[in-house]
Amino acid sequence: MDDTLVQEKNTATATDEEVVIRIEHLKKSFGDNEVLKDINLELHKGENIVVLGRSGQGKSVTIQCIAGLLEPDEGKLEVLGKEVRELSSEELKEMRMKLGFLFQSGALYDSMTVRENLAFPLTRVLKMTDEAEIEKRVTDVLASVGLEDAIDKLPSDLSGGMRKRVGLARTLIMRPAIMLYDEPTTGLDPITSREISELIIQLQEKYETSSIIITHDMNCARIVADRIVVMNDGKYIATGTYDELANSPDELINNFFK
Amino acid sequence: MASALTSTFNRYMELVGDQVVFTGRFAKNIFRGGFEWGEFVRQCFIVGYLSVGLVGITGFIIGFVLTLQTQPTLKEFGAESYVPGMVSISIIREIGPVIIALICAGKIASSIGAELGSMKVTEQIDAMEVSAANPVQYLVVTRILACTIMVPLLTIMADALAMAGGWVGVNVQDNVSATLFFRKSFAALEFSDVVPSVVKTFFFGYAIGFVGCYKGYHSSRGTESVGRAANSAVVSASLWIILIDAVAVQITNLIYY
Ligand SMILES: Nc1ncnc2c1ncn2[C@@H]1O[C@H](COP(=O)(O)OP(=O)(O)O)[C@@H](O)[C@H]1O
Ligand SMILES: [Mg+2]
Repeated sequence: MDDTLVQEKNTATATDEEVVIRIEHLKKSFGDNEVLKDINLELHKGENIVVLGRSGQGKSVTIQCIAGLLEPDEGKLEVLGKEVRELSSEELKEMRMKLGFLFQSGALYDSMTVRENLAFPLTRVLKMTDEAEIEKRVTDVLASVGLEDAIDKLPSDLSGGMRKRVGLARTLIMRPAIMLYDEPTTGLDPITSREISELIIQLQEKYETSSIIITHDMNCARIVADRIVVMNDGKYIATGTYDELANSPDELINNFFK
Repeated sequence: MASALTSTFNRYMELVGDQVVFTGRFAKNIFRGGFEWGEFVRQCFIVGYLSVGLVGITGFIIGFVLTLQTQPTLKEFGAESYVPGMVSISIIREIGPVIIALICAGKIASSIGAELGSMKVTEQIDAMEVSAANPVQYLVVTRILACTIMVPLLTIMADALAMAGGWVGVNVQDNVSATLFFRKSFAALEFSDVVPSVVKTFFFGYAIGFVGCYKGYHSSRGTESVGRAANSAVVSASLWIILIDAVAVQITNLIYY
Protein backbone atom coordinates (compact mmCIF):
# COMPACT_ATOMS: atom_id res chain seq x y z
CA MET A 1 0.00 0.00 0.00
CA ASP A 2 2.65 2.50 1.11
CA ASP A 3 5.07 1.61 -1.63
CA THR A 4 2.58 2.00 -4.44
CA LEU A 5 1.68 5.45 -3.17
CA VAL A 6 5.29 6.52 -3.10
CA GLN A 7 5.84 5.13 -6.56
CA GLU A 8 2.86 6.98 -7.92
CA LYS A 9 4.31 10.17 -6.56
CA ASN A 10 7.65 9.53 -8.15
CA THR A 11 6.22 9.04 -11.62
CA ALA A 12 4.12 12.16 -11.24
CA THR A 13 7.06 14.32 -10.27
CA ALA A 14 9.53 12.80 -12.69
CA THR A 15 7.69 14.37 -15.64
CA ASP A 16 9.21 17.77 -15.03
CA GLU A 17 12.85 17.33 -14.04
CA GLU A 18 12.30 17.40 -10.32
CA VAL A 19 10.52 20.76 -10.29
CA VAL A 20 7.32 20.17 -8.35
CA ILE A 21 6.00 23.72 -8.32
CA ARG A 22 6.81 26.31 -10.97
CA ILE A 23 5.46 29.84 -10.65
CA GLU A 24 6.15 32.52 -13.25
CA HIS A 25 4.94 36.13 -13.25
CA LEU A 26 2.00 35.32 -11.03
CA LYS A 27 -0.43 38.20 -10.42
CA LYS A 28 -3.46 38.46 -8.17
CA SER A 29 -5.62 41.44 -7.17
CA PHE A 30 -8.70 41.81 -5.03
CA GLY A 31 -10.56 44.75 -6.54
CA ASP A 32 -8.12 47.66 -6.37
CA ASN A 33 -5.85 45.85 -3.97
CA GLU A 34 -2.93 44.50 -6.03
CA VAL A 35 -1.60 41.81 -3.74
CA LEU A 36 0.67 39.66 -5.91
CA LYS A 37 2.48 41.71 -8.54
CA ASP A 38 5.11 39.39 -9.97
CA ILE A 39 5.83 36.16 -8.18
CA ASN A 40 8.45 33.74 -9.54
CA LEU A 41 9.43 30.54 -7.78
CA GLU A 42 10.63 27.02 -8.42
CA LEU A 43 10.28 24.37 -5.78
CA HIS A 44 12.44 21.31 -6.38
CA LYS A 45 11.73 17.82 -5.21
CA GLY A 46 12.75 17.27 -1.60
CA GLU A 47 13.43 20.95 -1.02
CA ASN A 48 12.20 23.13 1.87
CA ILE A 49 11.62 26.75 0.92
CA VAL A 50 10.85 29.28 3.62
CA VAL A 51 8.94 32.42 2.62
CA LEU A 52 9.56 35.46 4.81
CA GLY A 53 7.62 38.69 4.67
CA ARG A 54 5.70 41.13 6.81
CA SER A 55 1.98 40.62 7.49
CA GLY A 56 -0.44 41.36 4.68
CA GLN A 57 2.14 40.90 1.93
CA GLY A 58 0.21 38.12 0.22
CA LYS A 59 2.14 35.08 1.45
CA SER A 60 -1.04 33.21 2.29
CA VAL A 61 -2.64 34.32 -0.97
CA THR A 62 0.28 32.75 -2.88
CA ILE A 63 -0.13 29.31 -1.36
CA GLN A 64 -3.92 29.54 -1.61
CA CYS A 65 -3.42 30.04 -5.36
CA ILE A 66 -1.17 26.97 -5.45
CA ALA A 67 -3.84 24.88 -3.76
CA GLY A 68 -6.51 26.14 -6.15
CA LEU A 69 -8.43 27.94 -3.41
CA LEU A 70 -7.97 31.28 -5.15
CA GLU A 71 -7.70 31.87 -8.85
CA PRO A 72 -4.73 33.97 -9.99
CA ASP A 73 -5.31 36.74 -12.54
CA GLU A 74 -2.25 36.16 -14.68
CA GLY A 75 0.90 34.10 -14.92
CA LYS A 76 2.00 30.53 -14.94
CA LEU A 77 1.35 28.22 -12.02
CA GLU A 78 2.33 24.60 -12.45
CA VAL A 79 2.03 21.95 -9.77
CA LEU A 80 3.56 18.55 -10.54
CA GLY A 81 3.87 19.54 -14.18
CA LYS A 82 0.29 20.68 -14.72
CA GLU A 83 -1.11 24.19 -14.97
CA VAL A 84 -3.47 24.54 -12.01
CA ARG A 85 -5.98 26.80 -13.74
CA GLU A 86 -6.49 24.36 -16.59
CA LEU A 87 -7.31 21.38 -14.39
CA SER A 88 -10.76 19.81 -14.62
CA SER A 89 -12.47 19.28 -11.30
CA GLU A 90 -11.39 15.63 -11.30
CA GLU A 91 -7.77 16.56 -12.03
CA LEU A 92 -7.90 19.25 -9.37
CA LYS A 93 -9.06 16.65 -6.90
CA GLU A 94 -6.18 14.36 -7.88
CA MET A 95 -3.71 17.21 -7.53
CA ARG A 96 -5.07 18.08 -4.09
CA MET A 97 -4.65 14.50 -2.96
CA LYS A 98 -0.91 14.98 -3.45
CA LEU A 99 -0.91 18.31 -1.67
CA GLY A 100 -0.92 18.91 2.06
CA PHE A 101 -1.97 22.28 3.46
CA LEU A 102 -1.41 23.21 7.09
CA PHE A 103 -3.59 26.21 7.90
CA GLN A 104 -2.46 28.92 10.26
CA SER A 105 -5.24 28.09 12.72
CA GLY A 106 -4.91 24.33 12.24
CA ALA A 107 -8.47 24.40 10.81
CA LEU A 108 -9.51 21.27 12.69
CA TYR A 109 -13.17 20.32 12.21
CA ASP A 110 -14.41 21.41 15.60
CA SER A 111 -17.51 19.21 15.73
CA MET A 112 -15.39 16.08 15.32
CA THR A 113 -12.97 14.29 17.62
CA VAL A 114 -9.31 13.97 16.68
CA ARG A 115 -9.97 10.45 15.40
CA GLU A 116 -12.84 11.62 13.20
CA ASN A 117 -10.77 14.55 11.94
CA LEU A 118 -8.02 12.21 10.82
CA ALA A 119 -10.36 9.58 9.38
CA PHE A 120 -12.31 12.20 7.41
CA PRO A 121 -10.04 12.33 4.35
CA LEU A 122 -9.51 8.57 4.46
CA THR A 123 -13.20 7.72 4.24
CA ARG A 124 -14.21 10.65 2.01
CA VAL A 125 -11.32 10.85 -0.42
CA LEU A 126 -9.61 7.47 -0.42
CA LYS A 127 -13.02 5.81 0.18
CA MET A 128 -11.49 3.46 2.73
CA THR A 129 -14.04 1.27 4.48
CA ASP A 130 -11.93 -1.19 6.46
CA GLU A 131 -12.26 0.05 10.06
CA ALA A 132 -9.13 -1.73 11.24
CA GLU A 133 -6.99 -0.24 8.49
CA ILE A 134 -8.36 3.26 9.13
CA GLU A 135 -7.67 2.89 12.84
CA LYS A 136 -4.14 1.75 12.09
CA ARG A 137 -3.37 4.70 9.85
CA VAL A 138 -4.87 7.13 12.35
CA THR A 139 -2.85 5.76 15.26
CA ASP A 140 0.33 5.56 13.16
CA VAL A 141 0.17 9.16 12.05
CA LEU A 142 -0.76 10.36 15.55
CA ALA A 143 2.27 8.52 16.88
CA SER A 144 4.49 10.25 14.35
CA VAL A 145 3.37 13.66 15.67
CA GLY A 146 3.54 12.38 19.27
CA LEU A 147 -0.14 12.67 20.20
CA GLU A 148 -1.45 9.12 20.70
CA ASP A 149 -3.28 10.13 23.87
CA ALA A 150 -5.41 12.82 22.26
CA ILE A 151 -7.26 10.51 19.89
CA ASP A 152 -10.69 10.87 21.51
CA LYS A 153 -10.44 14.55 22.37
CA LEU A 154 -12.32 17.37 20.70
CA PRO A 155 -10.27 20.18 19.13
CA SER A 156 -11.59 22.61 21.76
CA ASP A 157 -9.81 20.55 24.44
CA LEU A 158 -6.41 20.81 22.76
CA SER A 159 -3.71 23.43 23.25
CA GLY A 160 -2.46 25.52 20.32
CA GLY A 161 0.58 23.33 19.79
CA MET A 162 -1.48 20.16 19.90
CA ARG A 163 -3.93 21.58 17.36
CA LYS A 164 -1.05 22.30 14.99
CA ARG A 165 0.19 18.75 15.43
CA VAL A 166 -3.22 17.27 14.74
CA GLY A 167 -3.59 19.54 11.69
CA LEU A 168 -0.22 18.30 10.52
CA ALA A 169 -1.24 14.70 11.12
CA ARG A 170 -4.46 15.22 9.17
CA THR A 171 -2.58 16.36 6.09
CA LEU A 172 0.20 13.77 6.43
CA ILE A 173 -2.27 10.91 6.64
CA MET A 174 -2.84 11.42 2.90
CA ARG A 175 0.93 11.01 2.25
CA PRO A 176 1.27 14.23 0.26
CA ALA A 177 4.16 14.87 -2.12
CA ILE A 178 4.09 18.60 -1.41
CA MET A 179 3.40 20.36 1.89
CA LEU A 180 2.32 23.98 2.23
CA TYR A 181 2.70 25.36 5.75
CA ASP A 182 1.04 28.65 6.65
CA GLU A 183 2.83 30.03 9.71
CA PRO A 184 3.23 26.69 11.49
CA THR A 185 4.73 28.20 14.64
CA THR A 186 2.92 31.52 14.99
CA GLY A 187 1.22 31.92 18.35
CA LEU A 188 3.19 29.14 20.02
CA ASP A 189 5.68 29.44 22.83
CA PRO A 190 9.37 29.16 21.88
CA ILE A 191 9.77 25.60 23.09
CA THR A 192 6.70 24.31 21.27
CA SER A 193 7.74 26.29 18.17
CA ARG A 194 11.05 24.54 18.21
CA GLU A 195 9.39 21.15 18.59
CA ILE A 196 7.08 21.84 15.66
CA SER A 197 10.00 23.00 13.50
CA GLU A 198 11.93 19.85 14.28
CA LEU A 199 8.83 17.80 13.60
CA ILE A 200 8.56 19.39 10.15
CA ILE A 201 12.09 18.27 9.36
CA GLN A 202 11.54 14.75 10.69
CA LEU A 203 8.32 14.29 8.78
CA GLN A 204 9.88 15.66 5.66
CA GLU A 205 12.56 13.00 5.86
CA LYS A 206 10.09 10.28 6.71
CA TYR A 207 7.55 11.10 4.00
CA GLU A 208 9.95 12.61 1.42
CA THR A 209 7.91 15.74 0.87
CA SER A 210 8.81 19.04 -0.74
CA SER A 211 7.59 22.05 1.23
CA ILE A 212 6.85 25.74 1.18
CA ILE A 213 6.85 27.14 4.69
CA ILE A 214 5.56 30.61 5.47
CA THR A 215 6.85 31.99 8.73
CA HIS A 216 7.98 35.02 10.71
CA ASP A 217 9.82 32.84 13.12
CA MET A 218 13.55 33.02 12.38
CA ASN A 219 14.34 30.04 14.56
CA CYS A 220 11.90 27.98 12.56
CA ALA A 221 13.41 29.31 9.33
CA ARG A 222 16.92 28.42 10.45
CA ILE A 223 15.90 24.88 11.35
CA VAL A 224 13.79 24.00 8.34
CA ALA A 225 14.99 26.08 5.37
CA ASP A 226 17.09 24.78 2.52
CA ARG A 227 16.45 28.08 0.83
CA ILE A 228 14.74 31.29 1.94
CA VAL A 229 12.86 33.79 -0.18
CA VAL A 230 11.90 37.24 1.05
CA MET A 231 8.64 38.75 -0.08
CA ASN A 232 7.94 42.45 -0.25
CA ASP A 233 5.41 44.56 -2.12
CA GLY A 234 3.95 41.66 -4.07
CA LYS A 235 7.30 40.31 -5.26
CA TYR A 236 10.00 37.96 -4.09
CA ILE A 237 12.93 40.32 -3.67
CA ALA A 238 15.69 37.99 -2.55
CA THR A 239 16.54 34.35 -2.33
CA GLY A 240 19.38 32.41 -0.71
CA THR A 241 20.37 30.25 2.21
CA TYR A 242 19.88 31.40 5.77
CA ASP A 243 23.50 32.51 6.13
CA GLU A 244 23.59 34.30 2.79
CA LEU A 245 20.54 36.37 3.60
CA ALA A 246 21.58 36.96 7.21
CA ASN A 247 24.69 38.71 5.93
CA SER A 248 22.88 40.63 3.21
CA PRO A 249 23.73 44.34 3.01
CA ASP A 250 20.10 45.15 2.11
CA GLU A 251 18.44 46.54 5.23
CA LEU A 252 14.97 45.30 4.28
CA ILE A 253 16.27 41.74 4.22
CA ASN A 254 18.64 42.13 7.11
CA ASN A 255 15.82 43.31 9.37
CA PHE A 256 14.26 39.87 9.49
CA PHE A 257 17.40 38.40 10.97
CA LYS A 258 17.74 40.78 13.90
CA MET B 1 -27.43 58.84 -9.06
CA ALA B 2 -27.68 56.71 -12.18
CA SER B 3 -24.36 55.09 -11.50
CA ALA B 4 -25.36 54.37 -7.92
CA LEU B 5 -28.46 52.69 -9.27
CA THR B 6 -26.58 50.59 -11.79
CA SER B 7 -24.02 49.54 -9.22
CA THR B 8 -26.79 48.52 -6.81
CA PHE B 9 -28.44 46.64 -9.64
CA ASN B 10 -25.16 44.94 -10.59
CA ARG B 11 -24.51 43.92 -7.02
CA TYR B 12 -28.01 42.52 -6.80
CA MET B 13 -27.60 40.56 -10.02
CA GLU B 14 -24.27 39.22 -8.79
CA LEU B 15 -26.01 38.00 -5.65
CA VAL B 16 -28.73 36.33 -7.69
CA GLY B 17 -26.06 34.76 -9.90
CA ASP B 18 -24.15 33.47 -6.87
CA GLN B 19 -27.31 31.95 -5.46
CA VAL B 20 -28.11 30.24 -8.73
CA VAL B 21 -24.58 28.78 -8.84
CA PHE B 22 -24.91 27.65 -5.23
CA THR B 23 -28.27 26.01 -5.99
CA GLY B 24 -26.63 24.20 -8.90
CA ARG B 25 -23.81 22.91 -6.69
CA PHE B 26 -26.35 21.74 -4.13
CA ALA B 27 -28.45 19.95 -6.76
CA LYS B 28 -25.45 18.34 -8.44
CA ASN B 29 -24.14 17.01 -5.15
CA ILE B 30 -27.37 15.36 -4.01
CA PHE B 31 -27.06 12.65 -6.63
CA ARG B 32 -23.30 12.41 -6.84
CA GLY B 33 -23.06 9.28 -4.73
CA GLY B 34 -21.43 9.00 -1.34
CA PHE B 35 -24.40 10.65 0.36
CA GLU B 36 -23.45 11.59 3.92
CA TRP B 37 -26.08 9.59 5.81
CA GLY B 38 -24.43 9.97 9.19
CA GLU B 39 -24.22 13.74 8.97
CA PHE B 40 -27.74 13.91 7.50
CA VAL B 41 -29.20 12.02 10.46
CA ARG B 42 -27.25 14.18 12.88
CA GLN B 43 -28.62 17.31 11.21
CA CYS B 44 -32.18 15.94 11.30
CA PHE B 45 -31.70 15.44 15.02
CA ILE B 46 -30.37 18.97 15.52
CA VAL B 47 -32.89 20.69 13.26
CA GLY B 48 -35.88 18.56 14.20
CA TYR B 49 -35.63 16.98 17.59
CA LEU B 50 -33.94 19.93 19.29
CA SER B 51 -36.70 22.25 18.06
CA VAL B 52 -39.58 20.10 19.32
CA GLY B 53 -39.90 21.93 22.64
CA LEU B 54 -39.95 25.44 21.23
CA VAL B 55 -42.21 24.60 18.31
CA GLY B 56 -44.56 22.48 20.44
CA ILE B 57 -45.09 25.11 23.11
CA THR B 58 -45.60 27.79 20.48
CA GLY B 59 -48.17 25.67 18.63
CA PHE B 60 -50.15 24.89 21.75
CA ILE B 61 -50.28 28.50 22.87
CA ILE B 62 -51.31 29.78 19.44
CA GLY B 63 -54.31 27.45 19.43
CA PHE B 64 -55.18 28.29 23.02
CA VAL B 65 -55.00 32.06 22.54
CA LEU B 66 -56.77 32.03 19.20
CA THR B 67 -59.73 30.23 20.78
CA LEU B 68 -59.91 32.48 23.80
CA GLN B 69 -59.93 35.53 21.57
CA THR B 70 -62.52 34.40 19.04
CA GLN B 71 -64.90 32.51 21.27
CA PRO B 72 -66.60 35.57 22.89
CA THR B 73 -67.22 37.21 19.50
CA LEU B 74 -68.70 34.09 17.95
CA LYS B 75 -70.79 33.59 21.07
CA GLU B 76 -72.38 36.99 20.62
CA PHE B 77 -73.82 35.74 17.34
CA GLY B 78 -74.75 32.42 18.83
CA ALA B 79 -72.18 30.80 16.62
CA GLU B 80 -69.90 29.19 19.16
CA SER B 81 -70.33 25.84 17.46
CA TYR B 82 -68.13 27.28 14.70
CA VAL B 83 -65.18 27.74 17.05
CA PRO B 84 -63.50 24.36 16.32
CA GLY B 85 -63.82 24.80 12.57
CA MET B 86 -62.56 28.34 12.68
CA VAL B 87 -59.58 27.36 14.78
CA SER B 88 -58.64 24.37 12.63
CA ILE B 89 -58.95 26.20 9.32
CA SER B 90 -56.97 29.24 10.36
CA ILE B 91 -54.27 27.20 12.08
CA ILE B 92 -53.78 24.63 9.35
CA ARG B 93 -54.05 26.92 6.38
CA GLU B 94 -52.04 29.88 7.48
CA ILE B 95 -51.06 30.54 11.06
CA GLY B 96 -49.39 27.22 11.81
CA PRO B 97 -47.11 26.96 8.78
CA VAL B 98 -46.08 30.61 8.71
CA ILE B 99 -45.45 31.12 12.41
CA ILE B 100 -43.59 27.85 12.78
CA ALA B 101 -41.50 28.62 9.70
CA LEU B 102 -40.64 32.06 11.06
CA ILE B 103 -39.66 30.55 14.39
CA CYS B 104 -37.51 27.99 12.59
CA ALA B 105 -35.92 30.79 10.57
CA GLY B 106 -34.93 32.40 13.87
CA LYS B 107 -33.66 29.23 15.45
CA ILE B 108 -32.34 27.09 12.59
CA ALA B 109 -31.28 29.46 9.80
CA SER B 110 -29.30 31.53 12.29
CA SER B 111 -27.51 28.57 13.78
CA ILE B 112 -26.63 27.11 10.38
CA GLY B 113 -25.44 30.55 9.23
CA ALA B 114 -23.29 30.96 12.32
CA GLU B 115 -21.93 27.42 12.20
CA LEU B 116 -20.90 27.46 8.55
CA GLY B 117 -19.77 31.08 8.90
CA SER B 118 -17.39 30.19 11.67
CA MET B 119 -16.18 27.16 9.75
CA LYS B 120 -15.47 29.46 6.81
CA VAL B 121 -13.66 32.03 8.93
CA THR B 122 -11.52 29.44 10.70
CA GLU B 123 -10.61 27.94 7.31
CA GLN B 124 -12.30 24.60 8.03
CA ILE B 125 -14.21 24.75 4.76
CA ASP B 126 -11.01 25.55 2.85
CA ALA B 127 -9.32 22.68 4.66
CA MET B 128 -12.05 20.30 3.55
CA GLU B 129 -11.69 21.54 0.02
CA VAL B 130 -7.89 21.18 -0.18
CA SER B 131 -8.06 17.73 1.32
CA ALA B 132 -10.05 16.89 -1.85
CA ALA B 133 -13.13 16.11 0.23
CA ASN B 134 -16.38 17.76 -0.82
CA PRO B 135 -17.60 20.40 1.63
CA VAL B 136 -20.83 21.06 -0.28
CA GLN B 137 -21.80 17.44 -0.07
CA TYR B 138 -20.87 17.08 3.58
CA LEU B 139 -22.08 20.41 4.95
CA VAL B 140 -24.64 21.90 2.58
CA VAL B 141 -26.58 18.99 1.10
CA THR B 142 -27.15 17.40 4.49
CA ARG B 143 -28.34 20.61 6.14
CA ILE B 144 -30.66 21.73 3.36
CA LEU B 145 -32.29 18.31 3.08
CA ALA B 146 -32.63 18.00 6.85
CA CYS B 147 -34.46 21.35 6.97
CA THR B 148 -36.64 20.48 3.97
CA ILE B 149 -37.84 17.34 5.74
CA MET B 150 -37.92 18.42 9.37
CA VAL B 151 -39.72 21.77 9.05
CA PRO B 152 -42.88 20.13 7.59
CA LEU B 153 -42.82 17.50 10.34
CA LEU B 154 -42.42 20.18 13.00
CA THR B 155 -45.30 22.12 11.46
CA ILE B 156 -47.59 19.09 11.48
CA MET B 157 -46.76 18.49 15.11
CA ALA B 158 -47.37 22.15 15.95
CA ASP B 159 -50.70 22.11 14.12
CA ALA B 160 -51.84 19.11 16.15
CA LEU B 161 -50.78 20.74 19.40
CA ALA B 162 -52.49 23.98 18.37
CA MET B 163 -55.76 22.10 18.00
CA ALA B 164 -55.24 20.57 21.41
CA GLY B 165 -54.60 24.09 22.70
CA GLY B 166 -57.86 25.17 21.07
CA TRP B 167 -59.76 22.44 22.85
CA VAL B 168 -58.25 23.45 26.20
CA GLY B 169 -59.16 27.07 25.40
CA VAL B 170 -62.81 26.22 24.75
CA ASN B 171 -62.96 24.36 28.02
CA VAL B 172 -61.89 27.38 30.01
CA GLN B 173 -65.46 28.65 29.77
CA ASP B 174 -67.53 25.88 28.30
CA ASN B 175 -67.51 22.17 28.64
CA VAL B 176 -66.90 20.50 25.30
CA SER B 177 -65.76 16.91 24.96
CA ALA B 178 -62.56 16.26 23.05
CA THR B 179 -64.37 13.93 20.65
CA LEU B 180 -66.90 16.58 19.73
CA PHE B 181 -64.28 19.31 19.37
CA PHE B 182 -61.99 17.31 17.11
CA ARG B 183 -64.86 15.87 15.05
CA LYS B 184 -66.07 19.38 14.33
CA SER B 185 -62.54 20.60 13.61
CA PHE B 186 -61.89 17.92 11.06
CA ALA B 187 -65.33 18.22 9.50
CA ALA B 188 -64.58 21.83 8.63
CA LEU B 189 -61.31 20.95 6.88
CA GLU B 190 -61.13 20.10 3.23
CA PHE B 191 -58.49 18.51 1.10
CA SER B 192 -57.74 21.90 -0.42
CA ASP B 193 -56.95 23.26 3.06
CA VAL B 194 -54.53 20.55 4.09
CA VAL B 195 -52.50 19.58 1.04
CA PRO B 196 -51.32 23.00 -0.21
CA SER B 197 -50.40 24.07 3.29
CA VAL B 198 -48.30 20.96 3.83
CA VAL B 199 -46.67 21.37 0.44
CA LYS B 200 -45.64 24.93 1.14
CA THR B 201 -43.92 23.93 4.38
CA PHE B 202 -41.43 21.91 2.33
CA PHE B 203 -40.55 25.10 0.50
CA PHE B 204 -40.27 26.96 3.79
CA GLY B 205 -37.90 24.28 5.05
CA TYR B 206 -35.83 24.42 1.90
CA ALA B 207 -35.63 28.22 2.09
CA ILE B 208 -34.47 28.07 5.72
CA GLY B 209 -31.75 25.52 4.98
CA PHE B 210 -30.64 27.16 1.76
CA VAL B 211 -30.40 30.69 3.14
CA GLY B 212 -28.60 29.52 6.27
CA CYS B 213 -26.05 27.57 4.25
CA TYR B 214 -25.63 30.24 1.60
CA LYS B 215 -25.01 33.04 4.10
CA GLY B 216 -22.64 30.94 6.18
CA TYR B 217 -20.73 29.51 3.25
CA HIS B 218 -20.25 32.92 1.68
CA SER B 219 -19.44 34.90 4.78
CA SER B 220 -16.38 37.08 4.34
CA ARG B 221 -13.14 37.01 6.28
CA GLY B 222 -12.94 38.20 9.88
CA THR B 223 -14.82 37.05 12.96
CA GLU B 224 -17.47 39.78 12.86
CA SER B 225 -18.76 38.27 9.63
CA VAL B 226 -20.00 35.22 11.57
CA GLY B 227 -22.53 37.35 13.42
CA ARG B 228 -23.45 39.08 10.20
CA ALA B 229 -24.01 35.73 8.47
CA ALA B 230 -26.30 34.53 11.26
CA ASN B 231 -28.23 37.77 11.32
CA SER B 232 -28.72 38.12 7.59
CA ALA B 233 -29.69 34.45 7.38
CA VAL B 234 -32.64 35.13 9.68
CA VAL B 235 -33.66 38.28 7.84
CA SER B 236 -33.56 36.76 4.36
CA ALA B 237 -35.08 33.45 5.39
CA SER B 238 -38.02 35.31 6.99
CA LEU B 239 -38.50 37.39 3.88
CA TRP B 240 -38.40 34.30 1.69
CA ILE B 241 -41.02 32.62 3.87
CA ILE B 242 -43.42 35.54 3.51
CA LEU B 243 -42.82 35.69 -0.24
CA ILE B 244 -43.31 31.95 -0.72
CA ASP B 245 -46.49 32.17 1.33
CA ALA B 246 -47.87 34.94 -0.88
CA VAL B 247 -47.09 32.97 -4.02
CA ALA B 248 -48.52 29.77 -2.53
CA VAL B 249 -51.87 31.49 -1.88
CA GLN B 250 -52.12 32.55 -5.51
CA ILE B 251 -51.26 29.10 -6.79
CA THR B 252 -53.71 27.40 -4.43
CA ASN B 253 -56.49 29.74 -5.51
CA LEU B 254 -55.73 29.11 -9.17
CA ILE B 255 -55.89 25.37 -8.69
CA TYR B 256 -58.90 25.00 -6.43
CA TYR B 257 -61.23 27.90 -7.14
N1 LIG C 1 -10.06 36.24 -0.07
C1 LIG C 1 -9.65 37.50 -0.04
N2 LIG C 1 -10.45 38.51 -0.45
C2 LIG C 1 -10.03 39.78 -0.44
N3 LIG C 1 -8.83 40.18 -0.01
C3 LIG C 1 -7.98 39.24 0.42
C4 LIG C 1 -8.33 37.86 0.42
N4 LIG C 1 -7.29 37.14 0.91
C5 LIG C 1 -6.32 38.04 1.19
N5 LIG C 1 -6.72 39.31 0.89
C6 LIG C 1 -5.90 40.51 1.04
O1 LIG C 1 -4.63 40.21 0.50
C7 LIG C 1 -3.62 40.80 1.29
C8 LIG C 1 -2.61 39.76 1.67
O2 LIG C 1 -3.17 38.84 2.56
P1 LIG C 1 -2.39 37.57 3.11
O3 LIG C 1 -1.90 36.75 1.98
O4 LIG C 1 -3.29 36.90 4.09
O5 LIG C 1 -1.14 38.19 3.87
P2 LIG C 1 0.01 37.44 4.64
O6 LIG C 1 1.26 37.74 3.87
O7 LIG C 1 0.07 38.03 6.00
O8 LIG C 1 -0.31 35.99 4.67
C9 LIG C 1 -4.29 41.47 2.45
O9 LIG C 1 -4.36 42.84 2.17
C10 LIG C 1 -5.67 40.86 2.47
O10 LIG C 1 -6.60 41.79 2.93
MG1 LIG D 1 -1.04 34.79 6.22
